[in-house]
Amino acid sequence: MFRNELFRTATFRLTLAVVAAMIGSAALQFFFGYSQANVFEARRSDMLLLREATILQHQTPQELEQQVRDRATDDLRILLNVTTLFDASRHYIVGDLHSWPAGLVADGRVHVIEPEAMDGGSTTALRMVAVSVPGDRFLVLGRSRHMRTELRLMMRHSMLVSIVPTVLFALMTGIILSHRALSRVKDMHEAIDRIMEGDLHERLPAGRQNDDLQRLAGSVNRMLDRLEQLLDEIRDVGNDIAHDLRTPLARVRARLDRALNADHSAQALRNVMAHTIDDLDQSFAIITALLRIGEIENGRRRAGFGVVDLDALVADIVDLYEPIAETKGIVLSHAPGGERIQVQGDRDLLIEVLANIVDNAIKFTPERGRVDIRTCMNGNCALIRIADTGIGIPASERKAVMGRFYRSDKSRHIPGSGLGLSLVSAILALHHARLEITQSRVHDTLPGATMSIIFPPGSVVTPGN
Amino acid sequence: MAENDFNWPVSAPHGISGGVMNAPPEIPPPDSVPSVAPGAVAAPRILLVEDDSKIAQEVAEELESRGFHVQHEDSGAAGLSMALGMHFDAMIVDRMLPELDGLTLIETLRERKVHVPVLVLSALSAVDDRVSGLKAGGDDYLTKPFAMEELAARLEALLRRPDNSRQTMLRAGPLEMDLIERTVTRAGVPIDLLPREFRLLEYLMRRPNQVLTRNMLLEDVWNYRFIPQTNLVDVHIGKLRRKIDESGRPALIQSIRGAGFMLRVS
Repeated sequence: MFRNELFRTATFRLTLAVVAAMIGSAALQFFFGYSQANVFEARRSDMLLLREATILQHQTPQELEQQVRDRATDDLRILLNVTTLFDASRHYIVGDLHSWPAGLVADGRVHVIEPEAMDGGSTTALRMVAVSVPGDRFLVLGRSRHMRTELRLMMRHSMLVSIVPTVLFALMTGIILSHRALSRVKDMHEAIDRIMEGDLHERLPAGRQNDDLQRLAGSVNRMLDRLEQLLDEIRDVGNDIAHDLRTPLARVRARLDRALNADHSAQALRNVMAHTIDDLDQSFAIITALLRIGEIENGRRRAGFGVVDLDALVADIVDLYEPIAETKGIVLSHAPGGERIQVQGDRDLLIEVLANIVDNAIKFTPERGRVDIRTCMNGNCALIRIADTGIGIPASERKAVMGRFYRSDKSRHIPGSGLGLSLVSAILALHHARLEITQSRVHDTLPGATMSIIFPPGSVVTPGN
Repeated sequence: MAENDFNWPVSAPHGISGGVMNAPPEIPPPDSVPSVAPGAVAAPRILLVEDDSKIAQEVAEELESRGFHVQHEDSGAAGLSMALGMHFDAMIVDRMLPELDGLTLIETLRERKVHVPVLVLSALSAVDDRVSGLKAGGDDYLTKPFAMEELAARLEALLRRPDNSRQTMLRAGPLEMDLIERTVTRAGVPIDLLPREFRLLEYLMRRPNQVLTRNMLLEDVWNYRFIPQTNLVDVHIGKLRRKIDESGRPALIQSIRGAGFMLRVS
């Protein structure tokens, strides 16, 4: 089982591929080496034959005859395998060959003569040269191609001798490496099994080497960190929800309990019921808001997307909230950006974003304050900026306010579900837009918060599109 | 959570004459008084198709106590055959039903030319679902969990849909609204209204003596589909009330505890 796994590892397969490539390249190398050596050997044979022929040509017939006779027994036979003297009518005088080889022309050039063309003397093809020598005779010199055969044998042997151990070595290395990779993967599998069993603190083993497997393990570990963090957040949110739901329900219970024990008139009981309904409505509002956030975050719902005119959106929200601002003596103003700014978005959701922010702004702004909304372009980004003269949000709390159920310590006394801004951030994330919270610079003398909704260039609809 | 624009074109230049409107336009004579208003001669018949027996029982009891006659079916197929076989003044249909889902049921009814008003109930609140519910032929859409008051008010609204006459004047008690001149008078005295107040009053005057919930007003008058944290609607109603009510006379716009508002005229 384990052996089978070993042979299936990527490392081992890579090793096999490398071995095959190695054998291939060695064979090619030997083939080119052999053919080069062959050409070189042929050229050397030719030079040897012609040089010998030139030397022997200048000797007297008697000397030459003696030489040829000597050669038949001499060491020179290793270099020149055939030396024969023929007369003018190409009859044998002395030497290794007994007849003139068919196809040999006495032109002083080297010819390749097959063994069948010769009467004995050689079993392999010969490179031969025939020259006329003094005494109206012909001298035939020949060198066999046995060198080539030897070369081939040598090459074959050296190839086998070198490749077999190389391949064996590569395979061994491959098996060892695969084995190591496999054991690392096995460790990871075990870690993953433990994680799947519910141990969320478990991480993939971190090795020393900085290789691809290790980087992958690092990425998986970072993903697990993030998931663990999200799970923690969800758990926290769950606790918060339980707490926020418990409060009104506890009130309901206490009130009903008191009503049950007291001797109330019908009208007083009706009042108790009315308060009870209010508290239950608050619980419902929290549940509804949570469901909506979940729905917006989960369903990548972009079906309602269309072109939304930001100033029209702001005008609508001002129309909706002006009476409330008036009752608090707050001036709610809208300053259009001059040019027409449009974005891709869901009008219903964006109006909800604005409603939440404006609602908060009015809620947290003391009487006779101001809430100013303006739209503008900042580079290629479209902006809606809502500046109030309220209590402001300290820099340290600006990130936290986007979280669920966050209530600034300063705002504990003001009612609300605490879910408004997390709903806002969920909707803005769907639009790839973001919310930036800064200190109000609009009103120098009065502090306050400025909420900027920033749409990225990709969401902005440019005129003409 | 509904989109009532489909049947209540709020800004269209037509209206109804003042007084109680007892006869909904699309319902034939035999059961022609589907209102629970005083003087109704027969209880409006409602077909409730809902598979959750607890919800069904609650809804049925609530509606019966309000003077409706409720027929309950717990599967889509049974609901369909009931709707095809008998006359109902309105239907309440759950989206998720065994055998035949709610949307298919409504589509089948509409194909067979049954134009009974349908209120769709659903546990889903995504825009897409609401749109598909209305496309299938539903007239209004309500997301679970809902308050009984909301359900009753919407059902009432379905039964008393404003007619499509081309009137340019609306009358409700001492109020008169000229939809072309965009003017309002109370007993002949002009009242100066902001455009948003005019829109709100027009909506109320088209539905006199009818409970209108805050959600219905937000959805239909302002075209918003969310529940604001603040009592926005109350503030708007309060502003309008101060302009149209005369001191010493009974208030025209009355708050209905736990439900919403009503423009009460005699």
